[in-house]
Amino acid sequence: MSSSPTSPAETSPEEGRAPSAPGPHAATEPRPETPRHRTHPITPLVSGWKIVVGVLAVLTAQNIAQLLNEFTIQRALIGAGLLLVAALIAILLSALSWWFTTYSVDEGGVSLHSGMISRSREYAPRARIESVSVERPLLARLLGMAKVRVEVAGSGESYIDIEYVKSAAAEELRRGILGIAEHAAPPEQAMQAQPTHRQDGESATEGGADGSEPAPAASEGSAQTGGALRSFLHDGVTEGELIAQIPTSRLIRSLVRDIGFVSGVLMSIVGVAVAVALAIWQDGINPAMFIALLPTLIALPKYVFGRIESGWGFVSRITERGLRMRRGLANTRTDNIVSGRIQRLELRRPLLWRRPDWTAATVTVAGIEDDGEDGAQNVLPVGTREELRATLGHLAAPLGTDDDMATIEHLLSAPAREIEGLRTRVRMYWIARRTDVTVLLPGALVNRSGLFTRRLEIVPRERIQQLTLSDGPLSRRIGVLDLQVGIAGELVHVSSLPRAEILDLHAVLSRDAATLRRYSDRAHWPQPVLSLTPAAAAQEPLPAEGRLR
Amino acid sequence: MVPMTSAPDPHEQHAAPRPGDGAPIEATPAQPHVPARRFADAPPGLLGAERLRPVSLKLIPARYLGGIAGNVFWLVLVIAAIVGTVLTGWWWIAACGLLPLALIAQSLLLTPRRVRAIGYLDGEEDLTIASGIMFRSVHSIPYGRVQSVKIGEGPIERRYGLATLTITTAAGGGTETLPGLPKAEAERLRSLLTDRGIELMAAL
Repeated sequence: MSSSPTSPAETSPEEGRAPSAPGPHAATEPRPETPRHRTHPITPLVSGWKIVVGVLAVLTAQNIAQLLNEFTIQRALIGAGLLLVAALIAILLSALSWWFTTYSVDEGGVSLHSGMISRSREYAPRARIESVSVERPLLARLLGMAKVRVEVAGSGESYIDIEYVKSAAAEELRRGILGIAEHAAPPEQAMQAQPTHRQDGESATEGGADGSEPAPAASEGSAQTGGALRSFLHDGVTEGELIAQIPTSRLIRSLVRDIGFVSGVLMSIVGVAVAVALAIWQDGINPAMFIALLPTLIALPKYVFGRIESGWGFVSRITERGLRMRRGLANTRTDNIVSGRIQRLELRRPLLWRRPDWTAATVTVAGIEDDGEDGAQNVLPVGTREELRATLGHLAAPLGTDDDMATIEHLLSAPAREIEGLRTRVRMYWIARRTDVTVLLPGALVNRSGLFTRRLEIVPRERIQQLTLSDGPLSRRIGVLDLQVGIAGELVHVSSLPRAEILDLHAVLSRDAATLRRYSDRAHWPQPVLSLTPAAAAQEPLPAEGRLR
Repeated sequence: MVPMTSAPDPHEQHAAPRPGDGAPIEATPAQPHVPARRFADAPPGLLGAERLRPVSLKLIPARYLGGIAGNVFWLVLVIAAIVGTVLTGWWWIAACGLLPLALIAQSLLLTPRRVRAIGYLDGEEDLTIASGIMFRSVHSIPYGRVQSVKIGEGPIERRYGLATLTITTAAGGGTETLPGLPKAEAERLRSLLTDRGIELMAAL
């Protein structure tokens, strides 16, 4: 999106509570004259299908034994007929709801109107838009459809779903929404910019240059061969500098090396086998037994498949609009995380990932409460040291040490005893004494924990919202205190440290929370080191490369 | 070994970045130097109690009045246990009555102390709210991070001229309440929080 005209002062992401921004953008309702769009007419088929499957699953799961015992052709025909009627009704209902669902994108934000009897009008003002993801569930993907999810800062279900639109239209929507979210370009300009992009993209993809601007509509029926296929396989995530790419072999090896995952799967398999053997030994083979085990039989492959899917074909690239990630095998999704919005960072390294030096990274962004493995928060399912360095460098603010990457590596790999920091001295917590350390770096508070799987919880000191000290009779007796560090949407616990040390820590952190990241000195906010935003570049004429190394 | 400081002072480092430092801290906000306020760990365990302002003592009768319904319920249970014991002669029914009795007793005896343990301080940069005797918690809420402020007055509070201040921040579970403020004081705190909040507003 290099053609969108931006002024450096305007590009820095406006987040949280903007200090009263007057002007045309402060309007809380979209202007009435903006055109409203419907989603794709095939939507009722896709969503109606879901209702039928759901009804069918509930009915059969409860009565399958009885149905099998009393099977006749006539009954089967009646059942099929009923199913057809149910499907028609479901599709009709979905069609009605589709007819009354409209969305519009204007320079104030995104709005979604829905509902036939009780109407609802949702509105996402552009300053609150945290990220935009494009999801493609299997069925929709086969039909070339996609769902656009606009995440807004807020708790609970703070998102707007536009489902389903054509894949190419979804890409365009994503660009348009991200464009207004960063108020880089009003949507008219973004739309005008599209055709030129398309030409650029086509010529570039034909040239085979990597990291080119892709055609957002490259897969749109045109007889392009290589570029279209690549764009389809990568769901259009072909633009920008490559940050991380996970080969399937590494993904599989990482799962095999994850002891928690492997032992969990093995234990459930053994459990199921033992249960089946016992049941057969007790009273022979009967279908009721399998029905009792059905939840496990479904859940286990689902869990394994979910873990595989969360990293399958994972590609992340840095674009002007932040980090773009793509993942998924059957259901694919592309997510977008704007850099500089990371509230908390969690790094995880299981025991057997230590030798190949792999790390998984998860982030907390205000408003995205997608706790699943395949959510947008999982920014690096299993990455090498280089990939971790690039991801963190683009997303997170620096830790403020001489060599951030070496610091992180040291905190992850060194035995906890060799890390200089605060730790509990209570004999009772004999594991925590050896594994948990809290380190205060100039830029962040870091919590290291875990015996086999080592975890680092990194909270930038400028993001602390609130602090709570808790005391209790037991803590008073053994001379410790607990501190809860509140960051947007999350609480980080620093527990059972000596009273004097935690009071000192509290004093330092409460001053950070009170003084850092004020709007009045937003020019001095720490930026991700490898940040691409022109605003950061204008502020820091120094070469940004190498600072993280 | 990577040099790491266990409790560095970012402001001092900001003030004097070492020359030739490969990784200067980007966060060099030109902020006023605010001295760190450290809570004293008073021997009785009431953290920071010596610096806090107490809430209105009218909260004690207000809490007694508000607790009547609950206490009457527990009292009915105690009486039922006694009657049951007398009628059946099973002693363990009387033992069941001890729990509601204990609840009534702690409510009557500890309410004044609990109210006196509530304190707050509207500092230069943040608001501190503390409460609890045995299980004590001290919240520090920077003015610039407050998302919303609410004043609530229930019927009993209104009778005693009190109000409850509810402050929300973006932190997970970040809603703190401060009960027992005289109305004028609650109004003053609310306007202080909003005025200072706009002045010092910090991003998420």
